[in-house]
Amino acid sequence: MNAALQAIPTAPFASGVAPNEPPRGADAPERRASPGLAGLLLRTAPVRPEASVLDVARTFLEPRHAGLLSLPIVAAVGRPVGMISRYELMRVFLQPYGRELYGRRPITALMDRAPLVLPLSTSIDEAARAIAAHVRSPITDDFILVDDAGYAGTGLVLDVLHAVEHRLAERSQELERAYARLKSSQSQLVQSEKMASLGQMVAGLVHEINTPLGYVRNNVEMTRASLGDAARLVAAQQAVIDALTGDAEPDGGLDTRFAEVGHLRTRVDAAALEDLCALLDDTVHGVGQIGDLVLNLKDFSRLDQAGTQPADINRLVESALRIVAHVLRKRGIEAVLKLGDVPLIDCAPAQINQVLLNLLSNAAQAIEHGQGRIVVATQALDRRVLLVVEDNGKGIEPEYLARVFDPFFTTKPVGQGTGMGLAISHQIVEQHGGAIRVSSKPGVGTRFLVVLPAPGREPAP
Amino acid sequence: MSASPPCLLFVDDEERILRSLRMLFRGRGEILTTSSGHEAVEWVRRRPVHVVVSDQRMPGMSGVEVLREVAAHSPATMRILLTGYADMDAVGASVNEGEIYRFIEKPWAAQYLVETVEQAARVACRDFDAAARRPAGRATDATVAARVVVLDDDGALAAQVRELLPAAVRVEHAPDLEGTLEVLAEHDVAVVIARVSSAGGDVADALKQLKRLRPATLAIVVSSLRDSRLLIGLINEGQVFRFLLEPAPRELLRRGLAAALERYARLRTQSDLLQRHAVDAPRQEAVATTTGRLLQAWRRLREAAALRIA
Repeated sequence: MNAALQAIPTAPFASGVAPNEPPRGADAPERRASPGLAGLLLRTAPVRPEASVLDVARTFLEPRHAGLLSLPIVAAVGRPVGMISRYELMRVFLQPYGRELYGRRPITALMDRAPLVLPLSTSIDEAARAIAAHVRSPITDDFILVDDAGYAGTGLVLDVLHAVEHRLAERSQELERAYARLKSSQSQLVQSEKMASLGQMVAGLVHEINTPLGYVRNNVEMTRASLGDAARLVAAQQAVIDALTGDAEPDGGLDTRFAEVGHLRTRVDAAALEDLCALLDDTVHGVGQIGDLVLNLKDFSRLDQAGTQPADINRLVESALRIVAHVLRKRGIEAVLKLGDVPLIDCAPAQINQVLLNLLSNAAQAIEHGQGRIVVATQALDRRVLLVVEDNGKGIEPEYLARVFDPFFTTKPVGQGTGMGLAISHQIVEQHGGAIRVSSKPGVGTRFLVVLPAPGREPAP
Repeated sequence: MSASPPCLLFVDDEERILRSLRMLFRGRGEILTTSSGHEAVEWVRRRPVHVVVSDQRMPGMSGVEVLREVAAHSPATMRILLTGYADMDAVGASVNEGEIYRFIEKPWAAQYLVETVEQAARVACRDFDAAARRPAGRATDATVAARVVVLDDDGALAAQVRELLPAAVRVEHAPDLEGTLEVLAEHDVAVVIARVSSAGGDVADALKQLKRLRPATLAIVVSSLRDSRLLIGLINEGQVFRFLLEPAPRELLRRGLAAALERYARLRTQSDLLQRHAVDAPRQEAVATTTGRLLQAWRRLREAAALRIA
């Protein structure tokens, strides 16, 4: 019997019986290495069914069994027949004469005949479920582990709890990593959407700048040439005058000089000078236009500053309209501004610009006829600012309407839309504590409503 | 040259551009300006217009659309695009649909624009006169005895071209530039179809040189490069006939080949039309490493050409 009670030297978790055992969380890596209950196996030496209650009580007192709630009772062939818990022994011994009455009886008289027996291959999750279904309060028993050959050892409920906890921690880490990956790919998307709208914007700006630059340069070159003619005329006239006043003898004779003056005067006359003035007016206008564009661009991109600042939504609308002006002009679309007196909003202006740019260019792209009209309206409504962007384009089919804010949803041809524009706009507006709504009627038009909170300050003068 | 001054038509939605251009061309012809593409097309239908210079981005009708209509109604009118932003789609369409003479970017250099427009006007005046003298509707059998060269390293394009063309057309495949030049030196070639895989490479340079030497040979470029600068160079310095993005759609390639053979036949019979294919001198000389072999090949080409003329 003593031989039978001898503990077999064991795998890591057998240390569960040692009195000064380290907290179980500490040896996590080893646990991860062995999946399922095999990693929790304690090679507890079983008790024979013939053992007396007193023998078992003594066995419980051995230090190596200090961590066990119960001991397995296993028949000779390795068949587990029951389990005896400390709790049960205590209950018996606490009765008057309990030790005397029961001490010499076989342990089978007291044992639990239906202990929890789990195969070694059971997964931690299944084990946790089986334990939950089996245990009663207070927890008095551990469980028996078996393999193909029969009894293999015991497992501690506590170990299972630790393992479950560990798995939970692992899973939440996995979730965190997945979330981080998702976030970074989302920010990449935001970035590429930004680059796409930047590319669009740059294309428009280049055209907007090169047009005035075209006539400015041409006008300057023509003015330069005219000034050359004017200078020659002045010189020729001076020569004639000099000759007439007798100060100097003209080279080539007075007739030649007169002829030259006559010829130059056809090129530099009052009308030509007037034209030149008109060209220079245009030039000043063009340079001013380029300056405005550059200023707008600066306003527009001021920007990717983190953090918010008070901004006038009307100013943002105007500057976004400047940026898409070429698209509107190209498509012959009229922009109608109905800007109300609105309080300043606290916002990241670059982000709100992105929203505006997106709504405006969507509106423009939705219009496929010659009488395009986009209405942009702003209005104050008790500590909120409403912004409406409305087009008379082709509208959105009802079945698509609910999906327009979904990432990657686009009805545009491949390559023309990332499907991220409205998703990002939605996100930006929500981050600003606002809301964005859409309503549309196919063939009539689409209206986007953006509501942004305003802290209630007065607009800047 | 025709005694009457050429008629020059400028189309732009910016009034100041038109005013500036009117001033620049004052005294150089009859100047028409409009901010409407439709009006421009109307003018071309109703009267002879020698040169149309159009902006690309305009409300209503894009520049390419204007020039395409102009080409349909008055093929002798020379077409120039003058634009502030060269997006690849517009440049491609200007070649394939507008068959433009030059693609000029704003801001332009006054002298270059004047020279280019005047040169175009001279060509157009001659064509208008010649067209008036030519009996109308003469059919040309484009495909007889024509020869095309396909410059393509892996041969797939050559196989496709072979399959698309009637058997009477000889299709030669050259895996490299030297091979192409050899064919060109020895034979009359109607069309060169070339895959251009690098913007700064030899092939683009060679096509430009070829156009100077053999203006009647038409170039079709197939490329995966969405590089508007490359294409503008191929237009202005190489008068590329078609530019197809890879993979080239079969039908586009077929139509491009057919149009090129037809054009070649006309150029052969009406040599005065060759002026329409005049090109600007390349802005950059060929890179040093390729200059040697290019020059060698050109020398052979020239000798062969001289022999043929003699």
